[in-house]
Amino acid sequence: MARSDCFVSVVAPLSNDGSMVGAFVSEVIDVLRANYTNYELVLVDDGSKDDTIERVMSLLDQYECIRLIRLSRKFGTEIAIASGLDSVIGDFVVVLLPESGPVALIPEVVRRAQAGQDIIFGVRKSRAGEPLWLRLGARFFYWVCGRVLGLSIPQDATEFQVLSRRAVNAVIQIKDKHRYLRVLSSYVGYANQSFTYEPVSRYGSLRSKGFLSGLELAVSIIATNSTGPLRLVSAAALLASVANGVYFGYVAVGTLLGHRAMEGSTALTLMASGMFVVVLGVLAVLCEYVSRIVDDSRGRPLYYVLEERTSSVLLADHERRNVVREALQVGGKS
Amino acid sequence: MPERQYDAVVIGGGFFGCSVALHLRGYVEKVLVLEKEAELLQRASYVNQARVHAGYHYPRSILTALRSRMNFPRFIEQYRECVDETTDHYYAVCKGAAMSKVTAAQYRAFCDRIGAPIEPAPLEVRHLFNDEMIDDVFIVKEQVFDAARLRARMATDLGARGVEVRYGADVIKVRASDERGMQVAVRNGDGVESCTARYVFNCAYSQVNRVLAAAGLPALPLKHELAEIALVEVPERLRGLAITIMDGPFLSTMPFPPRGVHSLTHVRYTPHCAWKDNGTSHVDPDRLLRAGRLRTSYIHMIKDAQRFLPCMEDCRYVDSMWEIKTVLPQSEIDDSRPILFVRSGDQGNLVSVMGAKLDNVYDVLVEIDHMFS
Repeated sequence: MARSDCFVSVVAPLSNDGSMVGAFVSEVIDVLRANYTNYELVLVDDGSKDDTIERVMSLLDQYECIRLIRLSRKFGTEIAIASGLDSVIGDFVVVLLPESGPVALIPEVVRRAQAGQDIIFGVRKSRAGEPLWLRLGARFFYWVCGRVLGLSIPQDATEFQVLSRRAVNAVIQIKDKHRYLRVLSSYVGYANQSFTYEPVSRYGSLRSKGFLSGLELAVSIIATNSTGPLRLVSAAALLASVANGVYFGYVAVGTLLGHRAMEGSTALTLMASGMFVVVLGVLAVLCEYVSRIVDDSRGRPLYYVLEERTSSVLLADHERRNVVREALQVGGKS
Repeated sequence: MPERQYDAVVIGGGFFGCSVALHLRGYVEKVLVLEKEAELLQRASYVNQARVHAGYHYPRSILTALRSRMNFPRFIEQYRECVDETTDHYYAVCKGAAMSKVTAAQYRAFCDRIGAPIEPAPLEVRHLFNDEMIDDVFIVKEQVFDAARLRARMATDLGARGVEVRYGADVIKVRASDERGMQVAVRNGDGVESCTARYVFNCAYSQVNRVLAAAGLPALPLKHELAEIALVEVPERLRGLAITIMDGPFLSTMPFPPRGVHSLTHVRYTPHCAWKDNGTSHVDPDRLLRAGRLRTSYIHMIKDAQRFLPCMEDCRYVDSMWEIKTVLPQSEIDDSRPILFVRSGDQGNLVSVMGAKLDNVYDVLVEIDHMFS
């Protein structure tokens, strides 16, 4: 098969992946080398504490066209991906997670993008194998996003994606701190397509989310990308305020006319607790949004780079020995 | 055959070797330059960006920047006819702490501090850059030299001062002979001949350690890089413009006068591989260059350049020049560019000289003055 002339970049965030980074990189490079004349693999280290860095350093001496961007600390997968996107140079950029990315499918998805798509969303084939709460929760999440909030997020989309140069340029202009590439690339629009695949599992089993982190992710995606809940609570607050007004009128008029309003503490308790439900609910939602505003208004850089390394493959290692021999020969002649 | 006797032999006919030879004529009579190639200034003196540094390049090493500022007018004055004065020089500073190691404001303050003239670039140049990526663009006073004209100039000067030059001369052995100093054996075509000299100056740049090995001396701890300089025909709008993007893994494109095209170099893609020499072994750099398996990275350079300078999409690749770039390990850390001046041998008569930039040569000449005074 002829190799394609288009320049393909692969971005992979690493976080304590020392145990499999070698196998992953060799797999990626084999695929890239076989299919493309020009390519790069950008590995972003997201503050690994294990031997990931040492292993990648030795890979840099072994394979060409690899770059390592070391972030100054752990910033999270999405920001690690963003830092990779900030510096990739390819015409098409494939984003994948080393633990689950289907490396063998790179040529297939890039071909689809080349056929005129700016974004290809990787979508997992099935959620079988995940706990019931996660499957139900995910379904509810996509229903809320799609139907209630009008937020278009491709269902079951994963981190596996292909972006055209145009889409990358658009995405890197968004400097949100809470970022989800799937949501951002769906936000920028352009021609897109989903691509169903079976995630691989380089750790043997897929690492599943816990309940709280799943919930946090859902809340964060919604709060960052939709003002729907804010509208909802403002409607609720308005409703509650009207109800209060009516109740106020009822009590006031009743008292003036000499009737005694509803007896005792029951009425009072009902009203107070009802109102607190509404007020605290509104506050909770507000707090969530205020925290996003604070996060994003500080204007701090998304990440800091500790260092960048590039492949340095000595053309042939045996040169070193040859030279030493030559120097000895010359010495012998004199 | 009686051996030819010289006062000084200079190994390497690059810009440093020639300058050292000319300077030595102020102290001694008979000076010989041994050049491995068929002409002077064939290697790193020719295969480089041709930038005459005026300090702008080193916002992270004030000392190097200041030395450049002192040497710059001197070089321009001395080699005026070799300098291409028609080029406008621009420095663009990248946006964001994650991308650039200096901000535009810091860069400006740095230039003011070292007394380097700097002005905002005119709008028509500013508009060549991608606003999303570039913080600010400045016009500065820097120069490019024409390596071919510099070569002719050095040949003329050597002739005028009566310095003998031997071409195609590969030094294979250097050793202390007697009280007369040192004996240098040279492979010249098929034969081997030798000469003696009181002083031997090793100005072989990337091959400094090869000469030291020929003298039976331990290698100096040098770091080498196989460097690719792409030559491109830039779009009309960039003709006559030298552009440097600061300060991180970025690039420069500037006229390369001997070929009438632009050079394109990239901090990330110009070095293809790097290695270090240690006391016992070294890689012969020329072997790497001759290996013939050099795979160009020009596409990487152009693709990245396009992100900052969109019109680079229309540039046309012409050729690549390959050379070994050699630096002292300490400049890795602090971005400084010190010179190497090491005297070895029993009487310290074998002097190894190396610098990173052409204008460093003045620091070397001062060292030679100390040596003879």
